[in-house]
Amino acid sequence: MAVNFEHFSYAYPNSDVVLDDITLDIPQGSFTVITGPSGAGKTSLALAIAGVVPHYFGGRQGGSVQVGGVIAAQSSMGELAKQVGTVLADYESQLVALTVAEEVAFGLETSGFGRSEIAERVNQALTLVGLTGLEDREVAGLSGGQKQRLAIAAVLVTAPEILVLDEPASALDPEGAAGIYELLYKLNCQGKTVVVVEHQLARVLPYASQVVVLQAGHLQFAGDLGQTLAFMWQQPALRLGVPPLWVIKLTLEEQIGLTLTAWKSEDEAAAELNKLMRTCAEGVAKSA
Amino acid sequence: MPKLAPLTKLILTAAVSVWALLIPMLIGQIALVVGQLLLLGLYRPVGKHWKAVSGLALFAGLLVAIQYVFGSSLEFSLMSGFKMLVMSLVFVFMLATTRLQDLTAALVSQCRIPYEYAFMFTSALRFVPDFLEESKAVREAQACRGYVFHGNPVKRLMDYIAIVEPLVLRAISRSETMAMSLELRGFGHKGRRQFTADVALNRPDYAAMLFMLLLTIGLTIVR
Amino acid sequence: MPETLLNIQKLVFTYKNAEQTLAEVDFAVNVGEFVALVGRNGSGKTTLTRLAMSLIKPASGKITLQGKDTAAMTPADMARSIGYVFQNPDRQIFHDTVAKEVAYGPQQLGFAPEALNQSVAWALRMTGLTELADSFPRLLSRGQKQKVAIASAIAMQPKMLILDEPTSGQDPWDGHNLMELLNSLNQQGITIILVTHDMELIAKYATRVAVLDRGHKVFDGTPAELFSGSRDIAAWGLLPPTAVALSQQLADVNAQNAAELLKKVMLAIKERSDDYA
Repeated sequence: MAVNFEHFSYAYPNSDVVLDDITLDIPQGSFTVITGPSGAGKTSLALAIAGVVPHYFGGRQGGSVQVGGVIAAQSSMGELAKQVGTVLADYESQLVALTVAEEVAFGLETSGFGRSEIAERVNQALTLVGLTGLEDREVAGLSGGQKQRLAIAAVLVTAPEILVLDEPASALDPEGAAGIYELLYKLNCQGKTVVVVEHQLARVLPYASQVVVLQAGHLQFAGDLGQTLAFMWQQPALRLGVPPLWVIKLTLEEQIGLTLTAWKSEDEAAAELNKLMRTCAEGVAKSA
Repeated sequence: MPKLAPLTKLILTAAVSVWALLIPMLIGQIALVVGQLLLLGLYRPVGKHWKAVSGLALFAGLLVAIQYVFGSSLEFSLMSGFKMLVMSLVFVFMLATTRLQDLTAALVSQCRIPYEYAFMFTSALRFVPDFLEESKAVREAQACRGYVFHGNPVKRLMDYIAIVEPLVLRAISRSETMAMSLELRGFGHKGRRQFTADVALNRPDYAAMLFMLLLTIGLTIVR
Repeated sequence: MPETLLNIQKLVFTYKNAEQTLAEVDFAVNVGEFVALVGRNGSGKTTLTRLAMSLIKPASGKITLQGKDTAAMTPADMARSIGYVFQNPDRQIFHDTVAKEVAYGPQQLGFAPEALNQSVAWALRMTGLTELADSFPRLLSRGQKQKVAIASAIAMQPKMLILDEPTSGQDPWDGHNLMELLNSLNQQGITIILVTHDMELIAKYATRVAVLDRGHKVFDGTPAELFSGSRDIAAWGLLPPTAVALSQQLADVNAQNAAELLKKVMLAIKERSDDYA
C-alpha cells in the first residue's frame, strides 16, 4: 500500500474542518485521480500525502496518513519528500532558480551526486518532459506551459516512488495536456504511483485505475473508473463532472437497458457501438 | 581574457579596497581607477554597466565638491572622491562579470556563508521579472476598466498605491508556495551542497591572487 | 445585413522577441454574435484580443469599432464599448467588497449616480452575486471571482465582451454556470468573443468559430462546418467534441451533437434487435 488514509480529518489553523473522516487506500502502482467541485478539499488531501499538511501549516489533525508504511505525522517533509514528489497547482511559485537546468538540478544539490552525474539526470528529466535544449534559458522567460513542464521535471529528477500533482495540465492546451498525461502514464507503467487532482476527467479516462470523489471535505466515493462515473451520474450535484463520452455511455445504458464496457477512449466506444449496431449481441433487450 | 573564478573577484574586491587605503598619492588612486576601467573594458561590458560607472563617477564628483566647499583642501577632497570611486568600481566589475548563481556558489562553498542567505539573492532576482509582469497585468486590468494613468506625480503615486494591494497579496501567496516547495525539495538539508555552477580555482586565478598578494606587500613596504 | 461591430483588417503584429506574430489577419465581428476564437497556445488568439482592446498596437493594419478607427484609442477608451475579462480574476480585483468592485468601472467611465447604481444592481443580478454584494472578493472561490470580474465588465454597459479562457482552471460545475451566464448575456444582445480550448463549449454555445494557426486565420465559419470532418483540424491542434468524433467513427451515423448521436445509435440498435425479433 503506497498511501493509506485512516479516518483522516484536518483543519487549517483558525479555520473550519477541510477534510472530514477520510478513509482511503491508494495502492502502490495505481493511477489515482482525485476529483470533485472546488472547495472540496482535493488540494488539502494531495498535500497530506507529502506531509505539507500538517507539518507546514500546523492546524488540527485527526486520524492518520501513512505513506510507504511511515506515519506522515511522525516523519518530516524532507523525509517524506524522498518518496513523494509534489507539483503544486501554483507551479510558477514553485520554480526557484534562475535557469532551467539549475531548477531541475536544485533537488539533487544535496544528494551527494557529482556534477556530471547531476547533469546527466537533469538531461534525462528534461527529455522526459520535452524541454531539451532549453537548459540555459531563464525561467522567468518561459511560457506557462513550459513552466508547468519544468516543475514536473524538477520533481522527477529525484526519482520519487510516488508522484502527487495538483492540476498538472491547467496551463496547457489540449495537445499539451494529453502529452503530460501520456508521460504520467508512462511513469505509472514503470511502477510509480501517480496521484492527480483533476477536474477534467476526460483527460484521465484512458489512464485512471482509481477515481476518488470529494465533496465539501467528505469522501463521497472511491472506486475504479466505471464505478465512480456511474456513481457521479446518479448524483444530480455531481453529474456535470461526468465526461462527455460517459454521458453518452450512461445515457445509452439507461435508455436501452444494456450494460456496456468501460470505455477508455472514443475508439473503444466506437468499436463496441459498431458491433452492437451490426449484430444482435447477447443481452440486448428487445424493444417493446 | 581568462575566466576568473568568483572567489578571485571577491578577493579582488577586498584587495582593491586595501590598496585604496594604502596608496597615499592621488596619482596612485587615479591609476587604480584607470586600471579598473581597463579591466572592465576587457570583459565587454554593456550599456547598463557604463551607466553604473558614470553614475558612480558623478557621485564621486559630488563628494569632492561637498568636501571642498566645506573647507577641505583640494588635494584631500580629490583623494576622498577617488578613493570612493576606486572602492565602488570594483563592485561594478564583479557584478558585471559574474553571474549571480556563480557568486552564490562561491560564497557558500568557498566562503562558508550559510546557503539560506545567499539563496535570498538568487530567488529575489528570479522573481523580479515576474513581479514586474504582474504589475503590468494589474495596470492593464485597471485600464480596461476605464482607468487612465495620468496627472500630476502625486496623483500617479496614489494610483500606484491603489494597485499595490493585489500585488502584495500575490507576493505573499507566492512566497508561501515557494517556501512550501523548498521544504518539499530538501532545502533545509545540512551537508555539502553540489552546485551546478563551476567555481573551482584554476591557474589564472592563482596567478591573479599571487599578483594581488605581491602588490599588497609591495605597497605596504613602500608606505 | 448584420451590423459589423469590430472590424480587423490585415493585421500584422510581432512581439519583441519575434516568437509570435500575427500575419495579415482579417476578422470581423457582427452585433449579437457569439464568436469562439481557438487555436493552440501561441497561435495568436490572445494577441488578437489584446490588439482589439488597444492594449497593444499593430505593426500594420486597421481596427475599427463601429466604423471608427481605433488606432489612437487607449484601453480606457475601448472600455466604453468593450468589456475585457482576463483569464486570471485575481489580477482584476482591487476592492473590499464585491459591490465596490463592480461599481469601479462605471465610476471611471463617469456614470451619473442613478445610472451607476442601476447598472451595478443589474450586473450583480445577472451574475447571481446580489447576495454576495458585501463580501470580500478575495475570499470567494475562483468561479465566483470570475463572476465578479464579469459583473465588473458588464456594469460598464459594453456592447461586447471579450473573455480570455474564462473556464480554464474552473471545475465543470463552475464552468457550466459561467457559460450559461454568457449565453444569457448574449441573448440580451451583448456580442461575445470567447477565447477557449474547450470544443464542447464551442459546439454548444458559439454561433461562429475562428481558428488561428501560427498567426494566420485558417478557418472562419460555424462550429458545424468546423467539425464536419472535412477539415484536418488536428493539424491546428484541435479535436472535435466527443459526440462528433464518435459519430465519425460509427458506421452510418452522422451527428452534430450528443443528442443526435444517441437518437441515431439507439435507433440503429433497436432496428438490429427488431431484425432478430
